[in-house]
Amino acid sequence: MTRAPGWEKALRYLLMLVVLGVTVGPFLWQLSTSFKGASEDIYTYPPGFLPEHPTLGNYSGVARVVPVWDYALNSLKVALASVATNLVGASLAGYALARLRFRGRRVAVLAFVVALLVPLESIVIAQFTMMRDLRLNNTLVAVVLPGAVGALNVLLMRNAFANLPFEVEEAAVIDGANVWQRFLRIALPSVRGTLAVVAIFSFMGAWDDFLWPLIVLSDPDRFTLTVGLNYLHGTFQQNPRLVAAGTIIAVAPLVVMFACLQRYFFRGVGEGAVKG
Amino acid sequence: MPISPLSRRAAAAVPLLASAVLLTACGSGGGSGDDDASGRPEGGITFQTWNLRSNFKDYFEGLIGEFEKQNPDVKVKWLDQPADNYAEKLGADAGAGTLPDVVNVSPDLSYPLAKAGTLLNLDREKAAARYKDEYTPEAWQGNTLPGLDGAYAFPWYLNTGPLFYNKALFRQAGLDPEKPPKTYDELFATATALARKSGGKTATLAGTPSIEDFGRYGVRLMNADATKFTYNEPRGVELLGKYKELYGIGGLDTQALTNTADTSGQKFLEQKVAINPGSAHDLDTFKKNAPALYKELGITDAPNNNGKPNMYVMGLAVSKQSRHKAAAVAFAHFVTDRGNQEGFAHKVAVFPSTKGSLDDAYWTKDDGTDEGRVRVASAKILKGAVNYTPVVMSEEMKVILKNEVAKALQGKKSPEQALDDAVAQSDKLLGQG
Repeated sequence: MTRAPGWEKALRYLLMLVVLGVTVGPFLWQLSTSFKGASEDIYTYPPGFLPEHPTLGNYSGVARVVPVWDYALNSLKVALASVATNLVGASLAGYALARLRFRGRRVAVLAFVVALLVPLESIVIAQFTMMRDLRLNNTLVAVVLPGAVGALNVLLMRNAFANLPFEVEEAAVIDGANVWQRFLRIALPSVRGTLAVVAIFSFMGAWDDFLWPLIVLSDPDRFTLTVGLNYLHGTFQQNPRLVAAGTIIAVAPLVVMFACLQRYFFRGVGEGAVKG
Repeated sequence: MPISPLSRRAAAAVPLLASAVLLTACGSGGGSGDDDASGRPEGGITFQTWNLRSNFKDYFEGLIGEFEKQNPDVKVKWLDQPADNYAEKLGADAGAGTLPDVVNVSPDLSYPLAKAGTLLNLDREKAAARYKDEYTPEAWQGNTLPGLDGAYAFPWYLNTGPLFYNKALFRQAGLDPEKPPKTYDELFATATALARKSGGKTATLAGTPSIEDFGRYGVRLMNADATKFTYNEPRGVELLGKYKELYGIGGLDTQALTNTADTSGQKFLEQKVAINPGSAHDLDTFKKNAPALYKELGITDAPNNNGKPNMYVMGLAVSKQSRHKAAAVAFAHFVTDRGNQEGFAHKVAVFPSTKGSLDDAYWTKDDGTDEGRVRVASAKILKGAVNYTPVVMSEEMKVILKNEVAKALQGKKSPEQALDDAVAQSDKLLGQG
């Protein structure tokens, strides 16, 4: 490979810096706003990034306005439950679609693809009516249930399983392994990367979801974090510092989660794309 | 255009609501709505407010405690919904038959609910109608829905506000900061001067004209029975024409075409626009979040051409599906009675809708502070104020107007053509509903 000339390299780095600024800039501004003291003008132009009177008071302020730890616990329950159901459900369904021969398999795959196209907003009322009929409205179970096994996750798992070399499983069949043994001992350990992707996606999906929990939950004590933090937009007054602090609290677990799983994540993203 | 969250929230209704509520027609109509409202208040009811918990938790808990003391057989459970997507939440609840017994609505939110038959018509319900005289006629009228034959919510707090302007920007452009514009003509003259003197750098207004601006300018918005929009009449075209001139010379913010009420308010806080209409309670926001602006803040009456200022109306509706209507009506009246409304309005700069309240010294005597000045001025505005936004005007129709206005300002259409198109599209939607 020939080395790129100096100016081209400089241009590349410049472009990367621009993209970094565009993506990270607003987040940094939120971060700095959340540390700004009450006497600071936060609407100066150009915006000041360094707080003049740095304070942690906004974070305790958030806790004073909303029971943020209760909401975070609710969110955590929902997100972990969603991760568990998605991992189990999507890998079982994905394996069935990729490896088992049964009538209507193609139709089943198609059904999952079509399910991807249905926007939540259009079915949210029907879902809510169903939850009420199940007497689950206003419970955290109802928050988890519609997203328990995501169609996208099933397709991700299906592709991951389909890309494993078939010969390995054939060998296992000859050794006398049944379907469950092949699934648990051979297939699952080979798709760890995709499992991590599914885990992250479902955690993020559950953690960030706003509309569905808002609609299905009525009791403020059971709100999840995204819904509860909306209270920081007070009706008669806005305190952007509190909103910023709330945003940081909401995003922090996602950053931590991604940091822990990123090794698997990048492996997983590539996994489904390469033909085995 | 105003930065009042009330107007932002009023703009939150979404087409989804309409489709959601349609479901009620086939679903939950039979939810034991036969309970009589005239009996003795008893039973457990739920009371839903709109984003008031974070600042007024103690107030509402005190209120409920007192009501339960007076009515020992009633148990009130308080729910509070966050600011965003409130229309969807109401639509889903109405569709599933789980609407709370007493629910906080603005007229444009109550319209689809009432149309689907999920709210109690207070004029038709003797137990509720007897309280009618306790409220100002304007407020009761504000909650009366066209074509549905009655008021569907007890009037609660009102909101209006002055025009805020930035004295520093006036001074920089060589204008007298103590002489703010009083009429629309002066407003446009000021904007032209500001734009010319600053070489198009200082914009005067942050947003394009909304339906309330057309109303304040003296445009007739709808025909008498609210079946057709009429804001494309010559006066409306004239207003849009003036805005177009302003846009051409830089009198409007560069992002005016896409600014929302929220972002307009933000531009004013950032001192990028010189004038923004607001609410009495915005003073607090200015003081806390933009102290530099607060020092240069000028306050004047919002201009209007027909002597009728704009106001926003909040109400408490009673669900028709409620199993304890007597208790629900009693509680809705209790929260909106004179004493409790005045108590609430002492906590935050909103205004009571009960008769005689605004004659109280608190709203007539200026105590010398900025807050007092704005409060007294706003209370004076409220006499004779109307809610200009037609309640049948859905969010979709507001977007249509905004888009057509944008086309006119960009010169893609003549103002006349743009308003004609907006009216035609809105009328079509109205016919479908």
